[in-house]
Amino acid sequence: MKSFSLKPYLLFLPSVLFMLLPLYGLLTAVLNSFGRHRGWTLDYYRQIFESKRFVMSLAFSLQTALIATLLSILIGLVLTRSFYPILEKITPRVSVWIPMLFPHFVWGYLVILLLSETGVAAQLLTAAGWISDPQHFPVLTRDPHGIGIILTYVWKEVPLVILMLLPVYASIRPEYYALVDTLGGSVWNRITAVELPHLLPVLMETSLIIFSFTLSAYEVPALLGTTFPEMVSVLSYDWFYGSSWQKRPLAFAAMVSISFVLLVLSFIGYGYLNKARWRAVKGNRS
Amino acid sequence: MNQRPRLFLVITLLFFLLPVLILAAQSFSAPWRFPSGSGLDWELGSYEQLLQSPMLWKATFTSIWIGFIVLMLNVVIGVFTGKALTTVPLKGRPWVEALLLSPILIPVLAIAMGLHIFMIRAGLADTVLGVIIIHLVPTVPYSIKIFHNSYQQIGRAMLEQPHILGSGFFRQLFTIELPLLKPALRSVTFLTIVISLSQYAITAIIGGGRVLTLPLVFFPFLESADASVMSAFSLWFAVIPVVMYTLVEAVILLLPYSRLPWRNKR
Amino acid sequence: MSPTTLEVKQLKKTFQEDLILNDLSFQLNKGEILSVVGPSGSGKTTLLRVLAGLESPTNGSLWMNGKDITATKANRRDISLVFQQPLLFPHMTVKENIAYGAKVSKKYSKPKIERLMEAIGMSRYRDHFPSEISGGQQQRTALARAMATEPEVILFDEPFSSLDPALRQDLRYWVRDFLVEQKTTALFVTHDMEEAMIMGDQIAVFQDGEFQQIGDASVLHHSPANQKVASFMGGHLILNENEFVPLAEIHLSTLEGVETRTFKGRLEHLTYQHGRPVAHISVPALASRVALPVGKFTADTEEVTLHIPTSCIQRFEVNHHE
Repeated sequence: MKSFSLKPYLLFLPSVLFMLLPLYGLLTAVLNSFGRHRGWTLDYYRQIFESKRFVMSLAFSLQTALIATLLSILIGLVLTRSFYPILEKITPRVSVWIPMLFPHFVWGYLVILLLSETGVAAQLLTAAGWISDPQHFPVLTRDPHGIGIILTYVWKEVPLVILMLLPVYASIRPEYYALVDTLGGSVWNRITAVELPHLLPVLMETSLIIFSFTLSAYEVPALLGTTFPEMVSVLSYDWFYGSSWQKRPLAFAAMVSISFVLLVLSFIGYGYLNKARWRAVKGNRS
Repeated sequence: MNQRPRLFLVITLLFFLLPVLILAAQSFSAPWRFPSGSGLDWELGSYEQLLQSPMLWKATFTSIWIGFIVLMLNVVIGVFTGKALTTVPLKGRPWVEALLLSPILIPVLAIAMGLHIFMIRAGLADTVLGVIIIHLVPTVPYSIKIFHNSYQQIGRAMLEQPHILGSGFFRQLFTIELPLLKPALRSVTFLTIVISLSQYAITAIIGGGRVLTLPLVFFPFLESADASVMSAFSLWFAVIPVVMYTLVEAVILLLPYSRLPWRNKR
Repeated sequence: MSPTTLEVKQLKKTFQEDLILNDLSFQLNKGEILSVVGPSGSGKTTLLRVLAGLESPTNGSLWMNGKDITATKANRRDISLVFQQPLLFPHMTVKENIAYGAKVSKKYSKPKIERLMEAIGMSRYRDHFPSEISGGQQQRTALARAMATEPEVILFDEPFSSLDPALRQDLRYWVRDFLVEQKTTALFVTHDMEEAMIMGDQIAVFQDGEFQQIGDASVLHHSPANQKVASFMGGHLILNENEFVPLAEIHLSTLEGVETRTFKGRLEHLTYQHGRPVAHISVPALASRVALPVGKFTADTEEVTLHIPTSCIQRFEVNHHE
C-alpha cells in the first residue's frame, strides 16, 4: 500500500496534460467575457442580453438543437430497436454508418444538392410534372426555421445514435425478455423493465453529446442557415472574426453563456445517472 | 417477420446509400437541368478541374498530416487513460469519466477562442502544430471512451495474467493489450480522421487561414464551383478516411501475433 | 526435511474495516503441495493475490528461499498463479500461449515448450486458438503456461470450479500427478474438502482470516482442532463447543450394556450416496442437522433417537484461539 501508491496514477498523465487544453481555453474565455484586459465588468453580458439579435439567436439555437437532438435520438432508437438483429451483421451495419464517413458540412452540401430549390428533388418533381416550376419547391435549406440545419444534423447523428445503442441491445441477455414474459409482462413491460435501464445512461450521454454539438457547432449553420435568425455559433464567430476586435468580448460572452447552459445540463444529467441505481446497472464500481 | 429485412433494405437504400450514389453520379456528370429536358451528361471534367487545383493537393496533404499526428496522439492518450480507468482504483470514478468527456460537451469554439491568445503567445498560432493541438479537443474524449470500453471488455483478470507470468509494462502493451485492442484502434482511426477533417471554424481561428486544410478550401469553393465540382470534392473527403483506415490496417498487421494470411500454419 | 521454499510471516491484510488476513504464518517446503480449504468469501483469493504480488499486505512479510520478496512486484516474483478462469490470450494459439509465459520470464527453450505440450496432451492442438478447444484443454494449457515460467511456487485459485463434475474429477488426478512428477511446490485453494484432500499433502482449513488447523486428511478427521474444522469436515456431530462424536459411532437403535447419551431427532430425508442410504436427521436439541450413513434402514416413523456411547465422545484439541 505504502510503497507503490502513486505509480499507477502515472497512467493518467497524458489525459491530465490533455485536459489542461480545454480547461485553460474555457477559463480564458470566461475571464475575457468579464473584460479581463479592460477592467472587470458585466457589461458584455448586459450588451448581448439586451441585444434582440442575440436573444433571438439564442432562442433559435436552443430550439433547433433541441429538435435535432430529439429527432436523432428517437429515429436512432426506433431503427436500432426494430433492426438490431439485422444490424449485427457487418454489411447492414456499415451501410447505416455511411453518413459518418463524411464531415458534417459535406453532408450539409449534400442536403443542399438534394433539397434546395434548384436541387435534385425539385428538378425531378418538376420534370415529373408534380410541380410546375422548381421555384415552387418548399424552402428547406437556408430557411428561417432551421429545417435544413435540423435535416443535416438528424441525418448525420442517427448513425451515431445507432452506433452507441447497438452494443447496448447486443448486451441485453434474451433471458430477461423471457423472464418478463413468464411474469406475464407486455411489450411495454419489456421496454420499461429490461431495455430502459440499460439504455438510459447511454441515451442520456448521447443526447448530451448531440445537443452540445448541434447547439454550438459553426459549420452546418454557416452553410445552411440564413442571416436572421442565425445560430449563436455563427454570430459569435462573426463577432470574433469580424473586422473590428471591439466585438471579441461579445463573442466570448456569447460562447460562455452557451457553455454555461451545457454545463448545467451535463451536471443534471450525470448527477441523475450517478444515483446508485444507474451505477448499479453499469456495474463497474470497482 | 419477413417484412423486416425488406423494410430495412428500403430505408438503408433510400436514406444512406442513394444520397451518396446521387453525389457520385453528379460528380461524374455536368450539373443537372432535368426540367429543361436534359439528361445525364457523363464527363470527368469536374475531377479534372478539382485535381488540377494546386490548393487541393496541398490542403489534402496538410489534412492527412494533421490527421495522422492527431491520430497518434489520440491513441497514446486513449490507451493510457483507458487502461487507467479500468485498472487504477479511483474514488468518484463516474465524475472522472464525465470530466474526461466534458471537452465534447463544452463548445469547442469557446475553447478555441480562449486558447487563441495563448497560441499567439506560445508562437503556435498560424502553425500546423497549433492546429494539431486544437484538433485534439474534439477527438480525444471519444478515443478515451472507446479504449476504456475495450479495456473493460478485456477485463482486469486478463490484464493481470501477463503481469503474473513476468511481463513488463511495454511488453504487455505490445504483445497483449494492443493486439486485443484492434477493434478499438480501427474505430478510433476512423472517428479521429473524420472529426479532424470536419473542423472548419477552429482550424480557421488557430490556423489563422495560413494552415490550409481541406475544409478551408471547401467553404470558398462553394461560392464559385458548380454542383459537379462540389460533388467531386465532397467524395474526396470520404476517400481520405478510407485511405487512412487502410494504412492503419496495414500497421495493425505488424503487431505481434497478427494472423498474416500468408503465414497461416493450419 | 527438504528446504523451505516459501515462508509467510504474520501476514495481515485489511480492506477498509474488514480484516481479511489475520497474522497468517506458514511455510511451504520444496515440492510440497498445500491445500487451503475454506468457505466461499473467506478471503482465500485475497491470500493468493497477496502471495502473487497483485495486492500488497497491510503487514507482515514474504520470504522465498531466504530472500525477502514482500516489496517485489508480481512480474518479478517466481510465483505463478492459475486462476478460476483459464484466461488464455485469445489472439494466441495454444503453443504461443505456453511460449509466452516462458519468453517473458526469459526461460524460453523450444524443447521445453514441446515437452510441456506433450505432458498436457495438447501437441495435436498446438496451432488451435483458445476458442477452438474445450474448457478442460484450456485449463491444462493455462497450467502449462504457468509451468513454463519455471516458478518456484505455483498457486491455484479453484482452477476446476468452472468445469463440469466429470471433467473436474479427471483433471484433479491429472494435475496432482503432474505436480508431483515435476516436483513443483504448490498451494491449492478450494472450497471443496474432497478436492483439498485429493490435491494436498497437507490441508489447511482457512476461516476468519487464519488457518484453524493444518494437517493431513486423517489428522483433520480424527482430531479436529475446533468446532470450525469439525463442521467443515462434516464427519462429526458437534455436541457443544468442546465435544464431538464421529458419525460412525452414532446408532439409531438402543445399545445394550454401554452408557449412552441420547438425542431426539426427526428423519427428514433418505438419500443414497456411494451406494449407501444416508439419513438426514434434524436434531432440535443441538439446532443442527446431520447426514448419517446407515446400514440397513427401515423407517416406519419420522421420530428417531440418536444413541451415542459416552466412551466415543471426544473433546477438541486444546484450542489456543479460545
